[in-house]
Amino acid sequence: MKTNWLIFLLMVCMAAIQTSCNNSGDTTVKKESTGIDTVITGTVKAELTDAPLMPKPLTYTTPQRVTVELEVIEKVMQIAEGVDYTFWTFGGKVPGKFIRVRQGDLVDFTLINMPDSKLPHNIDLHAVTGPGGGAAVTNVSPGQSATFQFRALNPGLYVYHCATGPVGLHIANGMYGLIYVEPQKNPLPAVDKEYYLMQGDYYTKGKFGEKGLQEFDMDKAIREEPDYVLFNGSVNANAGPNALPAKVGETVRLFVGNGGPNMVSSFHVIGEIFDKVHVEGGDLINTNVQTTIVPAGGSAIVEMTMDYPGMFHIVDHSIFRTFNKGCLAQIKVEGEKNRSIFGEIKK
Amino acid sequence: MEKKMVLVPAGKYLPFFITKSNKPIAVDSFLMDETAVTNAEFLEFVIANKNWSRSNVNRLFADTNYLKYWASDYNIGIKNFQLINSPVVYVSWFAADAYCKWKRKRLPTVAEWELAGSALPKNIKIQSLTEYILSWYNKPNLPVLPNIKSTYCNEYGLFDMHGLVWEWTFNFNSYISSGDSRDTANDEKNLFCAAGSINVNDRKDYAAFLRFSYRGSLKGNYCIANLGFRCAKNFK
Repeated sequence: MKTNWLIFLLMVCMAAIQTSCNNSGDTTVKKESTGIDTVITGTVKAELTDAPLMPKPLTYTTPQRVTVELEVIEKVMQIAEGVDYTFWTFGGKVPGKFIRVRQGDLVDFTLINMPDSKLPHNIDLHAVTGPGGGAAVTNVSPGQSATFQFRALNPGLYVYHCATGPVGLHIANGMYGLIYVEPQKNPLPAVDKEYYLMQGDYYTKGKFGEKGLQEFDMDKAIREEPDYVLFNGSVNANAGPNALPAKVGETVRLFVGNGGPNMVSSFHVIGEIFDKVHVEGGDLINTNVQTTIVPAGGSAIVEMTMDYPGMFHIVDHSIFRTFNKGCLAQIKVEGEKNRSIFGEIKK
Repeated sequence: MEKKMVLVPAGKYLPFFITKSNKPIAVDSFLMDETAVTNAEFLEFVIANKNWSRSNVNRLFADTNYLKYWASDYNIGIKNFQLINSPVVYVSWFAADAYCKWKRKRLPTVAEWELAGSALPKNIKIQSLTEYILSWYNKPNLPVLPNIKSTYCNEYGLFDMHGLVWEWTFNFNSYISSGDSRDTANDEKNLFCAAGSINVNDRKDYAAFLRFSYRGSLKGNYCIANLGFRCAKNFK
């Protein structure tokens, strides 16, 4: 136990030294220590978007000092038609705002907890190298804010979430989102459409679809028996009239995350094959994939060229979640039918 | 008129974070205000102690949100007429501490507050106290903060221990957390083990967990929308 404390104290000291260095303006990292360019050439305010929209691909090609401001808002929203739920959000929606930065960027991250909040909140960004992914320095009371700085060392698609205790409760109420760190080498090629989808599981006192304001059910959460499993925070958030639009011949890239807290997603698009999957949101690219796993607290980037028109269903292929718990989004593809790919043979 | 205080009999408080060094704490019997301190009561204090008015207060002891909803230094304001008998909020720990001293009282310790707060309601029917507490945490704030005595009275005769406002305690930050609830390796390991083995019908720990997270995020000069206080006193 003593050793643990010593290590903890050492970490605190190191964090303090790090902070004092940053405060004195020394924000460069030795190139050989990271193998990436870290010389800051300018400042940028990050574009933040609500799902299913993505921030535009970054146009700068050298490291920037990036400002990110994220507000924590506790609010009642529809989880399904006629069903309300008190969500805790990063930016007012579930999932939280999408953040897009570039490897080597120095990010000044401010977390603001709105004065109306009942509870304190913090943020753990899986893209952060440092104590708690930022959580250790951002536990913010209602009406307060905290700022920390991190270097985006590793490229990839990362989940962020609240890590205030009890962590599971904060995540179950919708406190997660995605941050994409564009790599310095070999950035993703431009595609026609980019969308942001994030899965989450929800536990309500009432059953699926039971009307009125539904409260969180801790028993069900502990038993891992969700009433709702959803893309983008509500039933039909991106289905039917809200389906994601695309045209025949276009390449669609989905930035997919899974907030959990409990379920692992068997991510699948009915009637399409992923031409490319950035497995677990990292460097590894798999091709020609039918279903890819998106772990709770994990991600994947999938790409597909839409060769044929129609409604394409995005599902968790743990399929009762789709048919009975709301886990459905859709891509609506418009354009000419290509008989050489698909067609019914009439008798 | 002096605020009524009620006797909380001696008892044992089992700390939320159970470790080898964190044993049940014996709590002596003590007196506690039957309700949170109201705006009307706090106004009397500010009038009698001008250094605690909004414009005179030392910023070290109260942040810029101090009493921000009052009309002016010594006036709660006509539009706040519904709040006269609601708990005063947007008050710092230092202000709460000063108020209690002015009344020849003190803030309750965490152990005292938790012991007092664990008593069951006697005038309303609830499934369980924890259900009741979690339900309050899960609802957004009401547009107007209700009056004192608007929730429930517990077996000791204390009103609104849960469900109205959070309350300052004397040693609110004596549980030192790094801010990351998972980082306190020793405490947290035990907690997770305990959480894994408890009967899932017993959610008491989760309500307490939220309170401890809340207290852990505070600093003494913070003035917050939902945060008020009540005073305590030794029982002789």
